[in-house]
Amino acid sequence: MHSGILYSLGQSLREILSSLIGVPILVDLLMTIICATILLLIMATSALVFTLGERKICAFIQVRIGPNRVGPGGLLQSVADMLKLMDKEDIVPRGIDKWLWVLSPILLLVPSALIYAFFPFDDGVILADVNVGLFLLIAITSQTVLPFLMGGYASNSKYSLIGGMRTVAQMLGYEVPMVFALMGIVMITGSLKMSAIVEAQSDVWFIVLQPLAFLIYIITALVESNRPPFNIVEGESEIIAGPFTEYTGMRWALFFLAEFSNLMCIGILTTTLFLGGWHGPDFLPGFCWFWIKTFLCVLFYQWVGWTFPRARVDSMLSFGWKVLLPIALINVLLTGVGIYVYNVM
Amino acid sequence: MAQTEKYVLNMGPQHPSTHGVLQVQVELDGENIVGAKPVMGYLHRGIEKLMESRTYVQCVPFTDRLDYVSAMNNNLGFCMAVEKLAGIEVPERAEYIRVICAELNRIASHHVFIGSLTNDLGSATGMIYAFRDREKILDLFNIICGARMTAHYIRIGGVAADAQDEFLRDTQKFIDYVPEMLDEYNKLFSGNEIFQARMKKTSIITKEMALKFGMSGPNIRASGVDYDIRKIDKYGAYGKFDFEVPLGKRGDNWDRYMIRMKEIAESAKIIQQALDNMPEGPYMAKVPKVLRPPKGDAYHRVENTRGELGFYIVSDGSTKPYRVHIRRPSFVNLQALDTMCKGMLLADAVTAFATIDPLMGEVDC
Amino acid sequence: MWGKGLITGMKVTWGHWFGKKETVYYPEEKLPMTERFRGGHLAFDEKKCIGCKLCAIGCPNAALDLTVSVDEDKKRHMEAYVHQIGRCMYCDLCIEACPTKAITWDKNYEFASYFKEDMTYDALVEARNRRGDDERND
Repeated sequence: MHSGILYSLGQSLREILSSLIGVPILVDLLMTIICATILLLIMATSALVFTLGERKICAFIQVRIGPNRVGPGGLLQSVADMLKLMDKEDIVPRGIDKWLWVLSPILLLVPSALIYAFFPFDDGVILADVNVGLFLLIAITSQTVLPFLMGGYASNSKYSLIGGMRTVAQMLGYEVPMVFALMGIVMITGSLKMSAIVEAQSDVWFIVLQPLAFLIYIITALVESNRPPFNIVEGESEIIAGPFTEYTGMRWALFFLAEFSNLMCIGILTTTLFLGGWHGPDFLPGFCWFWIKTFLCVLFYQWVGWTFPRARVDSMLSFGWKVLLPIALINVLLTGVGIYVYNVM
Repeated sequence: MAQTEKYVLNMGPQHPSTHGVLQVQVELDGENIVGAKPVMGYLHRGIEKLMESRTYVQCVPFTDRLDYVSAMNNNLGFCMAVEKLAGIEVPERAEYIRVICAELNRIASHHVFIGSLTNDLGSATGMIYAFRDREKILDLFNIICGARMTAHYIRIGGVAADAQDEFLRDTQKFIDYVPEMLDEYNKLFSGNEIFQARMKKTSIITKEMALKFGMSGPNIRASGVDYDIRKIDKYGAYGKFDFEVPLGKRGDNWDRYMIRMKEIAESAKIIQQALDNMPEGPYMAKVPKVLRPPKGDAYHRVENTRGELGFYIVSDGSTKPYRVHIRRPSFVNLQALDTMCKGMLLADAVTAFATIDPLMGEVDC
Repeated sequence: MWGKGLITGMKVTWGHWFGKKETVYYPEEKLPMTERFRGGHLAFDEKKCIGCKLCAIGCPNAALDLTVSVDEDKKRHMEAYVHQIGRCMYCDLCIEACPTKAITWDKNYEFASYFKEDMTYDALVEARNRRGDDERND
């Protein structure tokens, strides 16, 4: 039923383990642990690759070459950055709310890592193919608001507080248009299961069927992951670094990791929901198409990010509530009418 | 019943977007600004006092460091004030070279404005493009006088050395490149909807307010007052050139930005006319080796990039000035910060600092 | 159409992404300095100097410290020519004041050092060392 290299690799691994250890529960547990480790490795690699990739791409757009001294062509720059962050002094400001302050970067990493379990990398290669996949994914990503607010409040600094307040307004405000934009896809597919959504795109990609939803999704994805032009939470020239202002060293590295993992997540989601997931011509296996499309999406988001100035809080919020939400609702209406007409014909 | 209170946010001397070491104590109600108090003096170097114990020729390098981004204009102001006091007449070729250098420096300073404005607004790309183009002008200054920023090229009685053919050729190449450069900025920034939405109708300074504060330069021209010292006093060789003075209508951030873009085009026009009609002749008048101006005082003002830069020199007949006072445009323009920021959001405060274009070397002197 | 400006802006950055880059690969490539460049240490020509001290008098910040000795024949000899870079503004007034053009800039801007003492040097000693190197190389 399922084809593809990765699926067959997974099945053969399961058979080897079953023959070594007879108990099926233990085999399941071991497979889950192995897959979870692989996903965490993918997440860590994404952070390592994007630290360098972002700097090189932003440099190319800015008519210069980026890091080019550490390693051949600058490839070991991320390693140098990690080493630098690891041996920084751990400054703990005075007057902070200790537990909230310490937990905030750790809790930020949890949703970013958790949603990797729901991504379909290839035919049948998902860690948790639950039948409410999309809904669970959106619910988990909206948990990122709380650690930002925690960091902002607990830091005992006015800049962090402003950043925390902006987070709540921005991220909660843009959840609604995103959910309504994705409603169109769910209506066409008829199911919330991630593998079913990719299956439904085997003939026509959803970008053709739902162009409005695609545009809305791009904008809300940039907002949800705090990328420019919507990075008012960490608006560097106004509130220095928003909720992250008082964090140094490895604590800041955790925020950084979460941010780049978020960038990869929105790339993967754009691919899965609108660009056909792992579907593609047969000369390359499914997961290769998946990664190619993801990287192209990420490059697009970085291109957009490095071109535009930052939006202002009030204009961003009024755009979200007064423009995006009505368009998303109209999209749902049009999709419903379209499905009815298609079924009648 | 929810209770709110106002708080003071200190955008202190170390901040990514106060231009230099400026401290602004912003009183906020949520994200709305209720008051903004600038605190300056962090870069005070005592230039006016230092000038009292240096001879006139030795004072000129100090003026480079006032508004360090447009050094040629400062040199020009001081030298013309001394020439007024001592009655020295400058040869015509020197006047033309002075105009070319001053206008090139105006373009370079406006590039710093564009770069820091777009950087504060969030687009770091803008800063790199503006500074890349500024490098071309700094290379021109390197050719003519050997230094890029602190030029010390315009001297009492003329200019330090003659403009070589290489300089004139490269200046012509740069002037030919200016329309293409402005086109790129218009496509990337002026046409951008996010940029326009952030700049239009924010931080309005009305005509009456601008006149009350005594502002000058592009800031007051954005509010609609037609006041350009190059047209009024016609000092140096400016009377011989044909150029327009762009005016704004509303006095908001957008007007202040567009006027500076148009001024770049006008400066390029002036430089082209100067290059076409450059006369031959000496580049320095006959100035005595030991300059002793007669007793008295003189005030001369020039149109600096930021407004009216005035030098008031009191001489007591000796080789050193008795007192030099510098009327610095950024110092006066900064008063408008409170009015500009009231009722705006925090993000607009940052835009307001950028468009009023203060330079702390000039504010603190 | 709302959004047209955004797309034009993106086209500009696309062009630069794949266009020529302006970076100079320092220290393998160095930009040439112009003829009138003011920078580096002072190159002192002992034969031309007449010990008039006009350069030290002309300096606005007293960065030059000359020691001139007069022997029995009323001939002046230069003992030391100390230049304090920490005080120097690179304004060029000393070079313009010199009647015989005995000092010039040597345009070697790579003299950063870890110690503050290296910022005060004796131009006479450096000129003699350089002449000694030249004579040894000949």
